Amino acid sequence: MADRRAMLAPRTDAGRATAENGVVLLDGPDGVAVTMTADAAARTADSLLEAARQAREQAAARGPGAADAGEGLD
Amino acid sequence: MLTRHLLRNRLTELSDDERALLEGAVSQTRHYAAGQVVVRQGTPIEVSTLLVEGMMTRHVDAPDGRRHLVAVHVPGDFVDLHAYALKKLDHDVGALTDVTVAVVPHGALERLQLQDPRLTRGLWFQTLLDAAMHRQWIYRLASLNAIQRVAHFLCETNARLLAIGASDGEHFALPMTQGDIGEVCSLTNVHVSRVLRELRERGLCQVRSSHAHITDLRSLTQMAFFDPEYLYLQPAIARRATGIDGAPHG
Repeated sequence: MADRRAMLAPRTDAGRATAENGVVLLDGPDGVAVTMTADAAARTADSLLEAARQAREQAAARGPGAADAGEGLD
Repeated sequence: MLTRHLLRNRLTELSDDERALLEGAVSQTRHYAAGQVVVRQGTPIEVSTLLVEGMMTRHVDAPDGRRHLVAVHVPGDFVDLHAYALKKLDHDVGALTDVTVAVVPHGALERLQLQDPRLTRGLWFQTLLDAAMHRQWIYRLASLNAIQRVAHFLCETNARLLAIGASDGEHFALPMTQGDIGEVCSLTNVHVSRVLRELRERGLCQVRSSHAHITDLRSLTQMAFFDPEYLYLQPAIARRATGIDGAPHG
């Protein structure tokens, strides 16, 4: 019988950041629910942008369709 | 009767005779004030605690000083029945509100175990319910976002209280602060506050002054991906707990 479970995979939907009472709330994607100070949120944003730039380069180097494949175990 | 809520409206229920037998094993009742630690982690234990009135918690204190609520208990829960086998706890048990508990010595539980295998099975069922809830709490924290976590917790609490007649399916006492809910759902106070506001604005639920009013149970259930199967409720209660049953409340 086929296993119909959804595999964990990179999310294609973005998390939603909002400001509330002087802090930043990050909701999603998936089970992410974090409250950060404004400074921590800004540093996270910078880190995410840099990681996204590197990931795009890696994906481009691997060729079309390989972006979300990850490393398999088999 | 001190044991009247134990396994009430669950798929395994106790007979009147079994309740009477268990009642006879109670050595005393005790009262604790809100905030008191009833059982401290690591302390040798020779009794187990049945919650009769009020709400209790199990909590783990992290090395960084943060407290994590890992279970919330309602009347009828045998809060530390697992201590019968373990003889000490890996977490604290505390009174969330002023509580009344019935104390059952482990020696008496041992006699019951020899005397009544069906009652023993019922008590085992009770500890398995705890395990089932812990699995759902792991799922909730791992897979649900902030608003879904809070919605799921509210649905679960409503269902458990419905089973013991402490919720009419829409209204129930929820003597928890936003900080308490945050500890259950791994959210900050400000996050809980925002989520509760959002639930209210969407017309799903209102939580204020230690009281919850679920205004649209079916939608709240759907949002939370709440399925009460893990609570092993009687089918009629399970239907009411999800808003499927349109029967009048009361």
